[in-house]
Amino acid sequence: MTVAALTILGPLAALVAILLFRRAPAALALLGAGVEVVSAAVTLVRVAGGANFSAALPGLPGFPLRIVVEPLTAVLAVLVAVVSVLVMVYAVGYMEGARGRVRFFAKMSFFAAMMQTLVVAGDWVLLLAAWELIGLASYLLIGFSHEKGRTGSAATRAFLYTRTADLGLYVAVFVLISRSGTSEISGTFGVGGPAAFAAGILLLLAAAGKSAQVPLQGWLQDAMVAPTPVTAFLHSATLVAAGAILLIRTFPLLSPGVLLVVGLLGGVTAVATGVTAVAERDLKRLLAASTSSQYGFMLLALGAGFPAAALFHLAAHAAMKSALFAGSGIFQRARGSTSFSDLGGSGRERPLVFTAFTVAGLALAAVPPLAGYFSKDAIVAAAYESGYGFVLLPLALAGALLTGAYVARALRLLWRGEKRAEPVAGMRWMWAGLASLTVLAVFVGFLKGALSGLIGEEIPDELVTTVVGTAAAFLGLFLGWTFTADRLLGPLRAAAENGFRLAGGVDALVAKPALALAEAVRVADERGIDGVIFALVRGARDLGERVRALQSGLVHRELALAAGGMALLLVFLAVEAMRGL
Amino acid sequence: MATLLVALVAGAVLFGIGLYGALSQTNLVMIMMGVELMLGAAMVNLVAFWRFLHPAAYSGQMFVLIVMTVMALEMAVGFGVGTARFRSRGSVEMEEAEDLKG
Amino acid sequence: MAQAFFTGFFGLAAIWFGVVVFRTSSMVRSALALLFSQAAIGAMFLAMQTEFLGVLQIMMMATEMAIMAIFMVMYMMDPGGLGGMDMTHQKRLSIAAGIFGGAAAVAVSLLGGWGTVGPSTMPEAQVAALGEELLGRSMLVFETAGITILTAMIAATAVAIERRR
Repeated sequence: MTVAALTILGPLAALVAILLFRRAPAALALLGAGVEVVSAAVTLVRVAGGANFSAALPGLPGFPLRIVVEPLTAVLAVLVAVVSVLVMVYAVGYMEGARGRVRFFAKMSFFAAMMQTLVVAGDWVLLLAAWELIGLASYLLIGFSHEKGRTGSAATRAFLYTRTADLGLYVAVFVLISRSGTSEISGTFGVGGPAAFAAGILLLLAAAGKSAQVPLQGWLQDAMVAPTPVTAFLHSATLVAAGAILLIRTFPLLSPGVLLVVGLLGGVTAVATGVTAVAERDLKRLLAASTSSQYGFMLLALGAGFPAAALFHLAAHAAMKSALFAGSGIFQRARGSTSFSDLGGSGRERPLVFTAFTVAGLALAAVPPLAGYFSKDAIVAAAYESGYGFVLLPLALAGALLTGAYVARALRLLWRGEKRAEPVAGMRWMWAGLASLTVLAVFVGFLKGALSGLIGEEIPDELVTTVVGTAAAFLGLFLGWTFTADRLLGPLRAAAENGFRLAGGVDALVAKPALALAEAVRVADERGIDGVIFALVRGARDLGERVRALQSGLVHRELALAAGGMALLLVFLAVEAMRGL
Repeated sequence: MATLLVALVAGAVLFGIGLYGALSQTNLVMIMMGVELMLGAAMVNLVAFWRFLHPAAYSGQMFVLIVMTVMALEMAVGFGVGTARFRSRGSVEMEEAEDLKG
Repeated sequence: MAQAFFTGFFGLAAIWFGVVVFRTSSMVRSALALLFSQAAIGAMFLAMQTEFLGVLQIMMMATEMAIMAIFMVMYMMDPGGLGGMDMTHQKRLSIAAGIFGGAAAVAVSLLGGWGTVGPSTMPEAQVAALGEELLGRSMLVFETAGITILTAMIAATAVAIERRR
């Protein structure tokens, strides 16, 4: 158990050490990540050998906090740990010479620790706490370069979108705990009927927020103002994975109706954000839309009823997308921008980096024998085999085609253009991180059998879908390389770039009404409540003015008033006396 | 009983006259005369009540002594104020004394 | 019976002189009329067998009215009252107040049930009893009254002293 705890405590200790000593932050963060990955690997080996244990920590009365180590959580822990350490290596190079390194590595270690906690959480309270804390870490890291103009609003947008979706998680947890009486996650799978349905939909809401699914996908693209290591770590492999992880873990709870909704949502997202990716003019934003799209694939696999396929794609995607972002970070450091108009020709001047980028991109597009081929193929097969294949399969194939299209487009835009020779600092570390991630992207696919055996769930495989899916992927690659986005999309391009805003988007649907309501309340307060108070004040003043007229200052008038008052008193006494008689 | 009533009625009428005087006169000294009359009426009542209803309780006479003291004090302070006023304004007519107007 | 007669006689005298106070326009005459009115009140006390108080009243009032006469002459515009000016204001209000106050008091006096009349005591015994009361039960009252008088004297003097240039 202690070894498993080290996956959390390693980065946590690194965080504390960095904040205390404020020196050598990179080394400390790497050390923490190293401890993390070693302990995660050891734990996985043990679990593969049959170990399976949990520990209870003191928590709320009646609801202790639990940490559970089982095949699913062990695999996820290893995934997070490996990405964490490789991105830390990359970040050492990326952040060379940059300001605020202490802050940066402290926040990265904090995030790593919280993500690990989320992954091994065995009860809802701990999961909820870790969920919120990774959201906080994401806000801190997105807003890292807060001197620049738009980072503040991007970080706030990310935080608000995910936080609002988290309401779903809160309500779902309340429903589950109150229905089942326990907070242990596996213990709450027993509730049935409408409670399970409601909880499922609400969990989907929370997952859609964190994993940037339609209609909450907007924040992820804005979050690309974060430093690239942050994007490679959080917004491709871990934080956005939290949504999918939640659904994979609570898979036994989800009823067929809920699963259908999950699958549809994933499919629609895969297609819509894929189109957005084809239309994007900025490399990182393209990759962000791609991330939403790939997570849409995972949700689609879940909806089809194959959580292991989703998990497999999660792992493969983590390696592939992190590698892609790592590569884009190098180009960004070379050219100083991420928009395609500035990046043209970066591929030619750095052939090694471009090669790694291409390998990762082709892996994403599901070119055999790279990792994406196996995982995407599993998803398409899952869609084919599910009960709702007639709607899920076309969505999956369309998504695969679009994946190929935007990958090829990105490669084309990076390749075509003029070379410039700009030196980049920290190249060795960055190259080390990128290369390791690319290697993973190549070889993770071969772990399919081992993963399936470990988890105990099936990962589907169909010849028909393999052929059709691969054909779709190649067609997409061809289209993306040959045609420009305008030719491909035509009139859709403007809408796609806008993120397919419907009815004015969140701005008009949520923000404006909320502000109008706030204004109305303010007016009611000022006119209504303040009005009453001011009326009271005015009334008191007027009364005072009138009484003041009585005070003439003349002695005889005052005497007259005194006599009058005395008369009143006497009358009163007389009445009392009469009553007494 | 008859004497009691006579005394009380006399006091009542004196009180009325004093009240009229205090309210109607413009001069400070005349106002004070009115007040003196009212206090005198009160004393008449007090003595009548003591003599005819509670002859054993000498606190009644104490009360009368206190009222007499009050009369004297009122005159003393009143004339002091009148003197000050006369020095500053040159008259003690109460018609003009509206400095304390609210 | 005689007591009633004398009380009534001196009461009428007091009333009549009281009226004169405000009817005459000569200030000195007002002061003297007031003096006689207060003296009549003192005589009423004597008629009601409270010798000490009656004597006290006459003595005090004589002195006070004399002083008042002096102040009258000092501060009045027209001490002799030969100018013939009307020195009154809010006449109707004051007449109404006076009549109302007087009538109410008369009504109460006549209509109130006062109970039985008690016996009287000899004058010598009265004074002794008054002295005992003064220095016994009502000591605190008298001390307080003494302090008050002192304060009033100081205050009046302070108010009346002319400011040093």
